[in-house]
Amino acid sequence: MNVSAVRRGAGALFVLSVLMTSCVQRQEVGLERVRRAGELRWGADAQGGEPYAMEDPEVPGRMRGFEVELADALARELGVRARFIQNDWSSLIPSLERGSFDVALNGIEITPARSGRILFTRPYFIFQLRLLARRDDDTVTGLASLRGRRVGTLANSQAWDLLQREGIQAVPYEGVEEPYIDLEQGRVDAVLMDDLIAQRYGQPRAGLRVVGDVGEGYYAIAVRPGDEDLRAALDVALGHIARSGELRRIFARWNIDSAAQQRMVEWSDAQTREVLAQTQAPRLGWAQWVMFLQASLVTLVVSVGAMALAVPLGMGLALARLYGPRWLGRLASLYVELFRGTPVLLQLYVLYYGLAGVLRLDALSAAVLGLGLNYAAYEAEVYRAGVLAVPRGQLEAALALGMSTPLALRRVIFPQAFRVALPSATNDFIALLKDSSLVSVISVVELTKRMTITAVDVRSWLLPGALCAALYLAMSYPLSLLARRLEARLERG
Amino acid sequence: MIEVKDLCKRYDGRTVLDGISACFAPGEVVALVGPSGSGKSTLLRCLNGLEPFDAGSIRVGDDVLAPGVQRARGAQVSNIRRRVGFVFQQWHLFAHRTALGNVIEAPRYVRGLDAKAATELGRALLEKVGLSHREGAYPSELSGGEQQRVAIARALAMEPEALLLDEPTSALDPERVGELVELLSRLREDGLTLVAVTHEMRFARELASRMLVLHGGRILEEGPPAQVLERPRHERTRAFLGLERAVRQEPAVEPEPGRTGVSAVFPAATARE
Repeated sequence: MNVSAVRRGAGALFVLSVLMTSCVQRQEVGLERVRRAGELRWGADAQGGEPYAMEDPEVPGRMRGFEVELADALARELGVRARFIQNDWSSLIPSLERGSFDVALNGIEITPARSGRILFTRPYFIFQLRLLARRDDDTVTGLASLRGRRVGTLANSQAWDLLQREGIQAVPYEGVEEPYIDLEQGRVDAVLMDDLIAQRYGQPRAGLRVVGDVGEGYYAIAVRPGDEDLRAALDVALGHIARSGELRRIFARWNIDSAAQQRMVEWSDAQTREVLAQTQAPRLGWAQWVMFLQASLVTLVVSVGAMALAVPLGMGLALARLYGPRWLGRLASLYVELFRGTPVLLQLYVLYYGLAGVLRLDALSAAVLGLGLNYAAYEAEVYRAGVLAVPRGQLEAALALGMSTPLALRRVIFPQAFRVALPSATNDFIALLKDSSLVSVISVVELTKRMTITAVDVRSWLLPGALCAALYLAMSYPLSLLARRLEARLERG
Repeated sequence: MIEVKDLCKRYDGRTVLDGISACFAPGEVVALVGPSGSGKSTLLRCLNGLEPFDAGSIRVGDDVLAPGVQRARGAQVSNIRRRVGFVFQQWHLFAHRTALGNVIEAPRYVRGLDAKAATELGRALLEKVGLSHREGAYPSELSGGEQQRVAIARALAMEPEALLLDEPTSALDPERVGELVELLSRLREDGLTLVAVTHEMRFARELASRMLVLHGGRILEEGPPAQVLERPRHERTRAFLGLERAVRQEPAVEPEPGRTGVSAVFPAATARE
């Protein structure tokens, strides 16, 4: 498949989606819709935490943060109420496009990729990109010193783009706490984040130091394409709030005001045009294809590694339950129930972040270990069922020939149990291949994570999604074939 | 020579074996008969160490099996098992191995023969039981009679002094029983002790040199089959034999010569010797 064909395909999809959305929008345009509903629905992620928007710890269900106050002020200017809609930060833009809310207001930076995709109001906040490193690591002096090294940040953010441009290995995170934990643990060499985040989550950590601010950017409100009137109304409202001094009062209440924010007060339309002029056309280029293949390799390494751990461990657990002394069997049962009865996502979190103080694992090892430990519980049950499926007489017959129990198990029981267990074990391995996508929560970029990053980059989920599915199939199908052939070979007898 | 002394076994508060003493000499064929629950199968399984017992002893040559759980008697049990083969009622052939594979498994991994020697031995034994042409077949591809022959060859591969057979005729077509009798009588000629639990009185009569009648975990009476079957000394034996005849609807008179059946085949086998 060549690149132009991909682009044509993406282009056709884009035209189609524009046609579909414009049909809907002809009936009702943004501002009209907001006024009629009497509310401005704004999307944000409460998990983003202070000082943006978060749940009030004292009054559950109530939101607080400088963006909550900003949303209230804007709604007031428009003559409506503000209504908070919870949405994962990483999918705020796709959800906005789908119509889950009217605007996305949650520290969304103006980036060329986003400007080419959705509408932005004028900015409401200037932030600095702040670089933090470990106190005991004086090799980090600036971005130039980090070329080829690992630096944590949020995927698809302005910092992410900057790191990519500088030839630095950007490690994507979904939360704001985790990258700083990893920096302290030495799993990344630095963290580049907006100063608001760095101030609250990075700088308080004793082991970290500020290297410096290496860039600046703007937060603006994202509006759906076609809602130009809503954007215009919000621009007017923002200008009013800024000039009246209310904006900086809000900032001051949240300790994020500085002299630099005066530029927000004096901001002009010409400046908005200049900031938004830089747009980037979406494209799925060769570089992305290569990254997809690399991500497949990560998925494969994680899955094969985890299975290589799960198989022997599962065998040990099954043996302990079947033939071990009572206390060992109990222990094995406990293991199985614990790992099977709690989410693997939780196990990965605990292993990687929870035990970070005592167990220093890099992300890939933690991924392999976490999935391996979890799948061992399933494998143990599969093998145990396999052994139990072998008729009792087979063991007696082997013992009657003078075989010791271990020899009888090895020569007679296990080969037959293997035959019974093979289809389930194959099933588990294919499930593992797909479950490996969970390890993205501990900053491993595997196939699914790569797909979501690319999808945001190229504005389309269809093509990266199809590519991702094709790569998963390309890995799982040969495995199915292999297992089927093996089963057929064992079928005789 | 197998010597059983005062063998006792209780199970679930019930006495299964109640002081059994018996001797099985080389080349002797002994039929164990008795009603269900009389302890005959348990006795057979004790002789191979498949079943632990509570008191008494079992001696095979200079190996002695003492009471107690199997785990505590590991070495004794496996020595005895090497000297005493067992053919199960349902044969229990290793489902994942061919006929030849079943036979060479024990010589290869228990006796420690190399692959070549074990294969040669296995082929010779399959020939002995008349199954050379089926060596590559898996158990599921073999008929009941063929599976039984493989099971016998598998037990013989350990070169045992005695062979224990649990209900060898129960899963066989009637016309196959004669072939079994022929094979077993050839083994007897080799000096092998045969002990068989059976319900088939004709089979016992044709093959056995001695018959043990068990009842309630005790030996009720013993003697040559002709004597036990025709002039039972004990009232209970008479009742049991009558019951057996009624249940199996055996004709009171022997079948005509020339018909398929034990007695029709057995004379031919003896004539060949």
